[in-house]
Formats: sequence, structure tokens, C-alpha cells
Amino acid sequence: MQRKNAGSGPQAKVRQPVAVLFFIWLLHSFAPSAQAQALDQDIGSGSLTLRDDRGLAIDAPRMETAVRMNVSGIVARVEVSQRFHNESDAWVEGLYAFPLPENSAVDTLRMKVGERIIVGEIREKEQAQKIFEQARQQGQRASVVHQQRPNLFRTAVANIGPGETIEVVIGYLQIVEQNAGRYSLRFPLTITPRYFPGLQLDPETPLTSETAIAALTLAVPGDDTAAIGDLHPRLAHANPQRQSVSIEIDIDAGVSLKHIVSPYHPIVVAATDHGAQVELRDQQSPPDRDFELSWVPIVSGEPAVALFREPNDQGEHVLLMFMPPQESRPIDTPREVIFVVDTSGSMTGESIRQARAALMNGLRTLQPADRFTVIQFNSYHESLFAKPVFASEENLSRAQRYVSNLRATGGTEMLPALLAALSMPESEEHLRQVVFITDAAVGNEDQLMLAIRQRLGSARLFTVGIGSAPNGHFLRNAARTGRGTFTYIGSIGEVESKMTDLLKKLTHPVLTDIELSWPAGVVPEYAPASIGDLYAGEPIVVAARLQSSAKGMLSISGRTNGAWTRQIALAGMQPRTGVASLWARNRIGDLMDTRASGTTEDSIRASVLPLALQYQLVSNYTSLVAVDRTPARPDGEELRSRRISNTKPNGLDWPAEGIPSTATSAQLNFAIGALLLIAALGWQFRARHLQRSQQL
Amino acid sequence: MNVARSITRREWTRMTILAIAAFGVWQIGSGAYIHAKAWLAQQLIASAWTRTLEGERQVKPWPWADTWPIARLQAIDQGVELYVLADASGRSLAFGPGHVNGTAAIGEGNTVLAGHRDTHFAFLRSLQPGDELAMQTADGRKWRFQLSETHVIDSRYQRLQFDEQVAATLTLLTCYPFDAIVPGGPLRYVAIAELRTGPTSLAMPTRP
Repeated sequence: MQRKNAGSGPQAKVRQPVAVLFFIWLLHSFAPSAQAQALDQDIGSGSLTLRDDRGLAIDAPRMETAVRMNVSGIVARVEVSQRFHNESDAWVEGLYAFPLPENSAVDTLRMKVGERIIVGEIREKEQAQKIFEQARQQGQRASVVHQQRPNLFRTAVANIGPGETIEVVIGYLQIVEQNAGRYSLRFPLTITPRYFPGLQLDPETPLTSETAIAALTLAVPGDDTAAIGDLHPRLAHANPQRQSVSIEIDIDAGVSLKHIVSPYHPIVVAATDHGAQVELRDQQSPPDRDFELSWVPIVSGEPAVALFREPNDQGEHVLLMFMPPQESRPIDTPREVIFVVDTSGSMTGESIRQARAALMNGLRTLQPADRFTVIQFNSYHESLFAKPVFASEENLSRAQRYVSNLRATGGTEMLPALLAALSMPESEEHLRQVVFITDAAVGNEDQLMLAIRQRLGSARLFTVGIGSAPNGHFLRNAARTGRGTFTYIGSIGEVESKMTDLLKKLTHPVLTDIELSWPAGVVPEYAPASIGDLYAGEPIVVAARLQSSAKGMLSISGRTNGAWTRQIALAGMQPRTGVASLWARNRIGDLMDTRASGTTEDSIRASVLPLALQYQLVSNYTSLVAVDRTPARPDGEELRSRRISNTKPNGLDWPAEGIPSTATSAQLNFAIGALLLIAALGWQFRARHLQRSQQL
Repeated sequence: MNVARSITRREWTRMTILAIAAFGVWQIGSGAYIHAKAWLAQQLIASAWTRTLEGERQVKPWPWADTWPIARLQAIDQGVELYVLADASGRSLAFGPGHVNGTAAIGEGNTVLAGHRDTHFAFLRSLQPGDELAMQTADGRKWRFQLSETHVIDSRYQRLQFDEQVAATLTLLTCYPFDAIVPGGPLRYVAIAELRTGPTSLAMPTRP
């Protein structure tokens, strides 16, 4: 009993001070972080105030974007409507730079002013600009659509009266992506600012990793946007009151759908018996991330073949999609994987976390016989190993440490890093694969494409696009030229599944030597000109122009581990409008790409311009212009020009948002320390005092 | 029995007092460590900076560092000299003020530098409009800035305001109030300096 007493007494006494200590420690460790959490939640709601050169706040017209897509099989017809509301009491001009999917064939412009609809016409770029300028000065309502880059466009709408709304509708055609039975569409909604390296490039000299940076040029041939206006997009924080987007999609797949997914936006789906109708749940979403939709039709068991035709006065146009037989056995050649990762400033925030996760995933897939290295680049580049090393446990754990320490900062000097990757010594018995992880926020795409063409050798280049708004056009093109594939990862939750898909492509045999043979007498003009190699799950998509309609059988052959051939009856072709435009868009893309292999600007222009005019497409040399001949703005009223900002891509840290924490805990440490010492001293004094009185 | 009990009790009391005292010493030590690290890092960075001026790039001040100096900052009237690091992550800010990612390079637009209010950027408190700041960038060029205004923002509701395409400015950012005890508050002190032409007085001898 007494023993027990003796034990419990002090324990009860002790518990109190320990609890107090524990409480102080808790306070100490949680107080700052609780505040930091509160901060995080508030982030994103503010706005970046822009002021014009006279210090006045910019009252840019309010913009609503409405996207309507009609998907029919593998072709999507899309109409993008941009409504410019002028809420000020002055006459304004709205300027808006916006992205469209890569390889979209832009062929329509309609301007709606009140009840009137003015249909735009295709003109040579300079002429279109001149018509627009003239109308602008005469006070007529006018709009023009220019192409800045293959996936970056720009509208200008002049003379929007006070309180008036002008709607501009831009129409384009697009081929739906297909991969292993899954169809997908992507609609870019904003732009990640591109980095333009301060380089000088002489197209005559071959590039090496030793090429002095000063010897390489900022000027991208054929890019005259500098003459029309600045290219750098302006960004503002998401503000649905100023800018919003709504999307409606009608999918006609011919059969009902097994499932339909929108990974980045909540959607509402109404199933129909031949497809589905989809719309954004929030019809006033801020356009701060790209929209993606993918769907899987119920498979009917038939081999997937789609064959469409559209005759016009230029000839017969054919669009063929065919899913080749799949080889399921993985390749046994050891691989040599060079991971190249972008750690530039534009990757700050969510993007770098995705990149790190994707890299970790890629490292895990390596077998001991494989070799690998990791190169990171921002303003400079650095390779983890001087040359690829075997994927031993030690090397892998070193790489994992390296990857987990990657941070985003500085410029995007992609070219030297790419050259370094491509010029690593090659080994005979390894299959070289370069996995390039980036948001590709670069403006020097042509130089990079040239480098890939010149230096690729037997390697294959796989691009992985990261972030809310990567430059898909460049990444897709680079992968095509690099005989690899393009993978888009839009959120951290997708890293696992998308990297697994990529791994399947990396480790499965490639479908090569794809050949089409037409009935005798038919001479096809393919666009793209060559059918590249295909990876597991990818369909063959071919657009061709024939002189006249063809009858008979088309045979397709190819080779994986063995050879195969398929016959397709041309009589089964279905008429479909848009096939001609899609062919022409691909053809123009091909012709533009010859720039990188040294074709002169003049000769490209000479072949692209007539094609774009014949097929009524917006291109580097042609623009759509619409003018309402009715004069609107009275003489003497001033016209103010306003640039409409693009919404900052979600996850991109912007300085105002990423305000760093700038206080150390030193003061708190000192305060707590001092308090505790005083308390200890006081207690000690009291204890001694008690002891003394007890002794007395 | 009674004696034994009171001894145990006294021992417990003493141990608790000792523990509290030790914890207090450790806290003060941690605070001192932060200041010592801030001071010592700047000394180590000085030699990395010399090598940077000689043409090397991304010179890490110590082998395991993951940042590097990109500029030298002097507050002439305050007698302050600091090396600015390439980023403003929490890790780097312990060693010196950092360049906030995504803002312009020095002399090319609005550059934002962030620093700790109680170590490197404590001098901002005494910086007055009109005071001069001098900077040297990695290419050896020298820049002269003059403080034009200071204000306090609440980072929960306000953003830094950026004039588009303005001449070069330097925005120094630190936490506010300067002597708050608990870190992590929402207020930020913003000091804006504008580029001035003319010779810079970046002539102070490097640290003795």
C-alpha cells in the first residue's frame, strides 16, 4: 500500500510538467504551420493588376469563350465562340491570343454584331491585316484571325461600341486521337509563357553540344508576329467574372459508349444510343487548364477500320484509320534510357512535382541489364552520370536521390541539353530511348526540331508533356521526328497510369515498314508524307489526295516480329466533309516542316500560299478577315486598344502568388527559450525555498 | 519512508527543472544557430561569388548546396552587403536573400528578392525612400537603384502589383512586422527601388 503510494505520488507530480512541456512543444511546432496552411488556402483568389502606360487600370473587354464540338467517328468539327463585352464608355479594340489544338484546320470566321452575321474570308496574311486596319480606321466593326504558331492564334476585334457585345466564331476541324481503343480530344485553354533563348543560329552549320550559345538566333524564320504585335501572352489570375469558358460536346461514335472521362474538369454526361452529350458542369469555368475528354466505345468485335472520302475540284481526298494487329511479346534487347528533365522556372509548382513523380516511375521500370542516366536543364544542363550506367541498385538509388532534389529555376535552354543527350556515346547492344520530360515552354521550336533531325541517329525520342498547358504542338512533332511517342500528363494523379502506358510502348516492339498499296493507276499524295513507326495500341492514320476516285482493294502491310497484310475494300468509303481540309492542313504542316531541313522561306511560301487559299485554311501566310461595312464608330471618337490576358495556367507559381515566407523561427526560439529558463529558475528557487523550510 | 519519498520527489522536481532548462537552452541555441548559419553562409558564399565573377557558372558555395549566388547587393547607407541566391525557397533563404522565381532577371524588368526579416533583410526596416542600393550581377555589371517607396501588403488578400514593361525595378520583400515573435504571419513588407543611371558607388571593400 505504502509502496504503491510512494510510486504514484511523484508520478502524478511529474505528469503535469511533462504535459506542460509537451504542450509548449506542440504550440511551437504547429503555430507557424497552421498559419502557413491558412495562407495556402487563400492563394489563387487574388488578381494581378495591370496598368497601362499612363498608369490607368486596363478595362479590357470581358470575354466569354464557348466551345461546341461535334465528334463524328474520328473527325471533330469545333466552333469556338469568343464574345467580347465592352463595359466601358469608350470605343475599344479587343486583342486576344489563344491556343488551339495542334494541327487544327482553321477554316471559318463569323462575326456576329447584334442580329447581323458577317462571314470572314480567307486572304493572304498581309492583305487581311490591311483590310482590317482600313476598316478599323474607318470606324467599321471588323475582326481578323491570324496564326502565330501552328497551335497559337490571335483575334483582333475593332470598334466595339460602349456597352456593345461582338461575337467572333472560329471554326476548325481536328482528327480525334485514338490509342488502344480509347478516343481522346484535348482543348487547350491557356498558354504557358514561352522562353526564347537568346541564341543565334546559322542553319548551315551542324549543331553539336559544343556549339557556342552565342552562335545560335532568336529569330524563328517565317515568324512575322513581331511585326504585328508582341507574342508574349499576358497572364492574369483566374477571374470568372472577366473570362470564362463553357464547353459542349456531342459525340457520335456510331455505338454507345462504355465509359467517358474528363480528368481535369467536372462534366455532365447524357448518354445517347450512338454516343453521348457532354458539357462542363460549371459553364463559367476559368480557362486555367487544358480540357481533355476521352471515351471508349463498346467494342463490336469488328476490326477497327474507318475509311472516309471527300471529293472536290482538287481531287479525291481519303482519310483512313486502321488498327493493326497487336504484338503482345515484349522486346528482349536491353535498353539505354536517357531521361532529360526540364527544371526551368516555368516548371515551378505542380509541374516539377509531376516531373519528379514521372521520373521516379520511369526509373522503377529499368532492368539490371538496362543502362540509364538523368539530365536536368534550366539555364544550364547537368548530367547525373557522364555516360549511361547500368541500372544497378546503387546507381538507381543515387538517381532517386538526385531526382527527389530537383527544383525548378532559371531559363529553358533546352537545345544544349537535347544535344548533350543525343551525343552521348551509343552502344551497339542497347536500344537507345530518350525520355524528355518538359512543359516545352519554348519559342525556338524550329531549332530544336533541326537538332533532333540532325543528331537523332538510331535513338528514339519519347516526349512527356507536363503541366496545365504544355506546348503540345512541339512535343508531338518532336516525338514524331524522333520516332517515339508523345504522352501528356495533366495532373499528379495521372502520372502512374500514363507512365505505365508509356512503359508499354518503350518495352514492346515497334510496328515498322508500314506500306499501303493502292489499285493500279492511283497515285496518292500522302499527308503526312510518310507513315512513321507505330507503338503498341496506336492506329495507322493516313490522309491522302488522289487524282480521281479509286475503286478496288487497298492493301496495308507491316512488320512487327513477323509480317502481316490486310485488304480493305475501297467501295466501303463513306463521304464525310472535312476530309479535304484535314488533308490540306497536314500537307501544309509537312511543307512548313521542310523549313528545318533548309528549304528557303520563299519556296515554302510559294507552295503553302496557294494550298491554303484553295482549301480556305488559316496558315502562316493566310488569315481570315471579316468586316461589317456599316460604319459604327462616329468620326472623332477615339479607339482604345486593349489586350485580353490569358488566365494563368493552374499550378504555375506566379511571383505574387508564391510570396515566400520570410521569417525565421529565431525570435520564437529566443522567446520560448527565455521563458523556459525563467520558469526553470523560478521553480528551482521555489523548490529550494520549500526544501529549506522543510528542513527548518 | 517519509525521507525516501521526499528524496524521490525532489529528484523528480530537479530532473524536470533541468529538462525545462535544457529545453530552454536548446531553444535559444536553435535561434542562435539560425543567426550563425545566416552569417556564416554569407561568408562562404563570398568566395563562390569571386569565382562567379571570374566566369564560372552556378558556383555552389559548399559541395552539397543546391543554390548559388547570382548577385551582390549593397545598401550603402546601412553598410549592408549581401549575396543574393538563385532562388527563394525556404532552404535557400536560411543562407541569404533569394531571387523569386518567375520574376525578371536583374536589370531586365521587375526583379523580386525575398529575405528573412530577422537576419539578412532586417536592414529593410531602416531603409528610407531615397536611399541607394547597389547591385552587381554575375557578368560583373553594376546597377544603381534608389528606393522609391515602401508599403505593407497582406499576402492573403493582396498581390504585388506589376507594371507591365516598366523600366527595371527591384522589389525587396520580407515579413512584417519586423519584431513579431511568431513567424509565418500574412503581412509582407515591400520596398521598391528604381533603376538609376550613373556611376554606382559599389566601392565598399568586401568584408574585412
